[in-house]
Amino acid sequence: MASVVLSEPEKIYILHGVQEDLRVDGRGCEDYRCAEVETDVVSNTSGSARVKLGHTDILVGVKAEMGTPKLEKPDEGYLEFFVDCSANATLEFEARGGEELGSELGNTLYRVFSSDKSIDLKSLCINPRENCWILYVDVLLLECGGNLFDAISLAVKAALFNTRIPKVRVLEDEEGSKEIEMSDDPYDCIRLNVEDVPCIVTLNKIGYRHVVDATLEEEACSLAGLLVSVTSKGALTSVRKVGKGSLDPESIFEMMETGKRVGKALHAALQKILDEEESLGSSRQKVGFLG
Amino acid sequence: MPLDHRRVPGPEESQPPELWAAAGEVPVKGREEEDDGAAAPRDPCALRPLFARAGLLSQAEGSAYVELGGGTKVLCAAWGPREAAEPGAALSGTGRLFCEFRRAPALVLQDGGSALAAAISAAALALADAGVEMYDLAVGCALCRCPGPAAAWLLQPGEPEERRAEARLTLALLPALNQVSAVLGGGQGSPPESWAQALRLGLDGCHRLYPVLRQSLLRASRRRDAAA
Repeated sequence: MASVVLSEPEKIYILHGVQEDLRVDGRGCEDYRCAEVETDVVSNTSGSARVKLGHTDILVGVKAEMGTPKLEKPDEGYLEFFVDCSANATLEFEARGGEELGSELGNTLYRVFSSDKSIDLKSLCINPRENCWILYVDVLLLECGGNLFDAISLAVKAALFNTRIPKVRVLEDEEGSKEIEMSDDPYDCIRLNVEDVPCIVTLNKIGYRHVVDATLEEEACSLAGLLVSVTSKGALTSVRKVGKGSLDPESIFEMMETGKRVGKALHAALQKILDEEESLGSSRQKVGFLG
Repeated sequence: MPLDHRRVPGPEESQPPELWAAAGEVPVKGREEEDDGAAAPRDPCALRPLFARAGLLSQAEGSAYVELGGGTKVLCAAWGPREAAEPGAALSGTGRLFCEFRRAPALVLQDGGSALAAAISAAALALADAGVEMYDLAVGCALCRCPGPAAAWLLQPGEPEERRAEARLTLALLPALNQVSAVLGGGQGSPPESWAQALRLGLDGCHRLYPVLRQSLLRASRRRDAAA
């Protein structure tokens, strides 16, 4: 992960501040940075979203393609994740440097979405065992400013909300051969229900307290942390310890409670923005990349 | 999509043979009853018998073999300390622990459930056997929760339980320091209290397994002294 080199006095400064619930930029331990979320920024995808969380900039594009379902789940579609760490993000990602981080992020996304309750995969099925929709979710890291997992999960949820999959009909001939017909109207499409899609909350342990949404400097001070994925109803779907250090069991219990609280608030805020964008419809002023 | 170069290369369309076997078989009623009988109440806190032996490979500096009752067998070997090959590592000033986890033929000989937890314990034993200085032995423990409302968490699930499980959790504990060094869990959503309860059960299990691992290290060092 991109990291900054901090001197000992700087680390002590951050540590003491966190003990008093006051971080370097004035936030409390459970506050997120100001986040900007915009959907439908890339025109040739089925759905896209861009999230800017402080200095962290993530772009997600979703493309829906027809393919054959997996053998062990013949009546469901599936999602494929790919995370690309752009060389623009930080010097360490030059050439193949970002591959390890990219595959770690991708594996985390697979684990978070592995539960079959998060997205209704059966709605992506066209013909059992023959055709289904495969959603290719591509995540692009434009800038790395700490707390990548949270920003990526927000962007993925927003992009899935924005995804429009064309409606298809299956026509059967007399001989039994099936033909797939796509509707002519470009606005006739199915939308995904993202109510149960979880959001990732990373909690980093600094001293005796833990912080949410750590910047790069705070991540350098923290030896261990907990990554939890929370649904909008407050249920935790996955738990993972990150970092080189170890955690006290009591800290883990506290972090899970904080994660649930913060996660629910995060979901509510994101849903509000998405509903607002939806209600503006085509009259929305798109800011795009130059805003 | 670019390939994951760390994986063992094999044909992309390969599938496990069990999928085809299940399709061709005529369902037998007797088999279902047997399954239900096996799922009948099992003490959720019962630990499967664990056999651990350190120092069995003569070529490796440290090695360990861990077997859990029910068929999970993990073999681990530790080599080093060796100079880190990448130029980047020299700048960091700290050593790098290179871990390789392979399914067959080397490391996990047979997966009868809770393979990751057994591998964590085996790796810790092998490192201790190799003489690497460590803060404490890491003990791994796995849990899973069966489907159904308000189901309990089971300690050290066997393979059929793991397959049917709704949620899984593996954790590694350093018992002497009472610090958790790794937690990995996933599955259907449940409130934090349920995960907390699972963690407590897992911690208790780790504490109970710790003396077994220490005994095996003690025996291995005695054997080495006797042979020397």
